[in-house]
Amino acid sequence: MKTCLKLLSLLVLLPLAASAATPSAEELLQKYDAIMAPLNFEATLTMVAHRDDGSTRAYKMRMLKAGDDKARVWFLEPAAARGQEILSQGDNAWLYMPNLKRSVRMASRDSFQGGDFNNADVLRTNYARDYSAQVVEDPSMPEAYLLELKAKTEDAGYDRIKLWVAKKDTLPLKGEFYTASGKMLRAAEFLEVKSFDGFRRPSRVVMKNMIAIKRFSELTVDSFDARVQPAAGRFVLDDLGR
Amino acid sequence: MGSPRSPAMVRWPALLEHSMWPLFRIALRNVARNRRRTLITLAALLVGVGAAVLTRAMMNGLQRAMVTNITTSATGALQVHRAGYLDNVLSTPLTMDFAIDEAFLARVRAVEGVKAVSPRIQFAGSLGANDESLFLAATAMDPTAESAVCPNRASTFTPGSRFDSPDGILLAETVANALGTQQGGEAVFLAPDRDGTLNGELVHVTGATRSVMPDEPKTAVVPLALAQRLLRMEGRATELAVAVHRLEEAPQVAARLREALGPDYEVHTWDDILVQVKENKARDDASMGLIAAVFLVLMLLGVANTLLMSAIERTREIGTMMAVGLRRGKVMGLFLAEAVVLGATGSTLGALLGAGLSAWLNHRGILFTAPTISVPFDIRPYVDVGYLVRIVLLATAGAAVFSLYPAWRASRLRPVEALAGR
Repeated sequence: MKTCLKLLSLLVLLPLAASAATPSAEELLQKYDAIMAPLNFEATLTMVAHRDDGSTRAYKMRMLKAGDDKARVWFLEPAAARGQEILSQGDNAWLYMPNLKRSVRMASRDSFQGGDFNNADVLRTNYARDYSAQVVEDPSMPEAYLLELKAKTEDAGYDRIKLWVAKKDTLPLKGEFYTASGKMLRAAEFLEVKSFDGFRRPSRVVMKNMIAIKRFSELTVDSFDARVQPAAGRFVLDDLGR
Repeated sequence: MGSPRSPAMVRWPALLEHSMWPLFRIALRNVARNRRRTLITLAALLVGVGAAVLTRAMMNGLQRAMVTNITTSATGALQVHRAGYLDNVLSTPLTMDFAIDEAFLARVRAVEGVKAVSPRIQFAGSLGANDESLFLAATAMDPTAESAVCPNRASTFTPGSRFDSPDGILLAETVANALGTQQGGEAVFLAPDRDGTLNGELVHVTGATRSVMPDEPKTAVVPLALAQRLLRMEGRATELAVAVHRLEEAPQVAARLREALGPDYEVHTWDDILVQVKENKARDDASMGLIAAVFLVLMLLGVANTLLMSAIERTREIGTMMAVGLRRGKVMGLFLAEAVVLGATGSTLGALLGAGLSAWLNHRGILFTAPTISVPFDIRPYVDVGYLVRIVLLATAGAAVFSLYPAWRASRLRPVEALAGR
C-alpha cells in the first residue's frame, strides 16, 4: 500500500516537476537570438542559391553586426554583386548599388539576393523583439521544444514561425515559416554545429522554398567572431559605398 | 366546291389520304381562320425569338470587342515562349529565354498569316522611390515593335504618358500612388538578373498605365533595352507577342508557327494565355442560353394556349371530322401540324427581324465606354446562320411539344358528344 501511494504521488508530481523544468518561451527565444546572432559579431558567409533548373549561384559576403539592431553586409562574390552593400538599422534596411551610387530601401520580406532567405532571415535575427511565442511539446520530436511564434510587427520576416530547439542546449534544429493564413512558405534546417573559438552554433542553414519546391538556398558560416567591437561609424547611410 | 369563307371544311376528305402534305395544307388554312388570334401568337413568337437573336448578337459583338481589345492592347493574337514557360511562370522564367537576333525574328515573320512580332520580357523586381520600395511585375517591350503588334497599347496609358524615352517607365496608377511618384520623378528599379544576382537601373517615371480592374496587381511597363541591361540579358527576350492578319485564323497560324519553330518553343493563342476570358465567355454563353430558353418557354405557352382555345372552339367540327371517319391520330396530327406552322412562321419571322436589327447595329456600331475600362468597346453585334437555324428549329419543335396536350384533348373527344357540342 505504501509503495502504491509513493508511486501515485510520484505519478502526480512528475508532470509538475517536468513543467517546472520547462524554460519560458521568452528565455528560449533570447537564447536562440544569442546563438544565431549575438550582440556583436563579424562573419564571412556563403550563400548558395539552387534554382528550379538545377543551376546554382554562390554569394560570398562579409557581415558585421553591432548591438541590438544594426548590421552591415558587403558582397564579395560573384563579380556581378561585388560592391553591393547593405545597411540594416532597426526596422529599416538599404541596399547600395555601386553602378548607380545610390541606396534603395529594402523590405524585410524581400528575397535576399534572389535566394530563398528573405532579408530579415539574414539581417534581422531578433526573434525576442519581433515575435511573441509559446512553448509546446511536439510528440514527434521529444528531444526538442517547439516554439510557436507570432509576429508582433509588420516588419518581422514572417507572420508565423514554428521553431524547434534542442532541449539540452537550445541549439535550433529546424524551422517552418508561414503566412498569416497558415500557408507554409519556407522550411529551414539548422545543420553542422561548429565551434568558432568556443562559440557553438549551426554552421549551415538550408532554407527550402515550399512554394517553388525545387528551389532552396544554403547559408554557410565560413568564419565567425563574436568578440569584435564594431565602430559606430559603419552603421550610417553615408558610410555605404565607402 | 363550297364557299371560300370556310375552305378547311371542304378539304376534310383530303385528310383521309396517307400523305403528310394535305395535313399541313389544312393546318395552314386552319391557322389562317382566326386571324386576330394567330397574329397575336405570331407577334409573341416574333418578339421572343427576335429578342433572343438580338441579345445573342449583342453578346457576340461584346465578346468579339473584348477579344479584339485584349489582343490589340495587351496580349497580341499569339505568344511564343520557350517550351515549358507557361507551366513555370511562378518560378524563374528569366532562364527560359531565347536570343532574338534578326534571323530568328525573320523566321517568325516569314510564317504565313503573321503580321508583326514584338519581343518582350516579363520579370519581377522592386521599385524604390522617395525612400519607399514596392515589389512589382514588369513587362519590357520595344515601343516600335509593340505598336505594330498591339496598336491599342497606347490607349492603356493615361493621357500625357510617353513611352519613348530610353529610361522611361510607366507605372500602374496604384503603384504610382503607393510610391508617391510624379511624372518625371526618379526611381531605382532593382531586380534579380538572369543569374539571380540583384542589379539596379535608374529610371524616370514618364506616365501611368490605366487600371483595368479595381484590385489590379502592381505592374509597370519598361523599355526592352533597359530591362535587357537590368537583367543582363542583352539581345534576349522571354516572350514574342505576334499579331496575325485575321484573328479568326489565330489557331491555324499558331500551328504553322509551331511547325516552323520546332519543339524548343511553345506557341499559344490569346485564349490559352487569358484562360479567364475563355471561361467568362463560356459562362456568358450559358446564361445567354438560359435567357433564350426562358423566352422560348413563355412564347410556347402562348402557342399552347392558342391551340387549346382552338380545340375547345372547334369541338363540333372535330366531331364532324370523326363522324366521317377521321381517326384520332389524324386529329392529333392536325393540331400538331397547326402548332408547327405557327412555330415555324413566328420564329422564322422573329429570327429574320433579330438578324436584320443585328445587321443594322453591326453597320452602325455601339461605342461603349466606362471609367473602369481602358479601351472603349466598339461593339458590332453579329449572329451566325447556324444560330438562326438552331433557334427556328428549336422553336418549331418546342411548339409541337407544347401543343401535345391540346392536340391530345382534341383527339380524345367522342364524336357523338362532340357533334352535340358538349
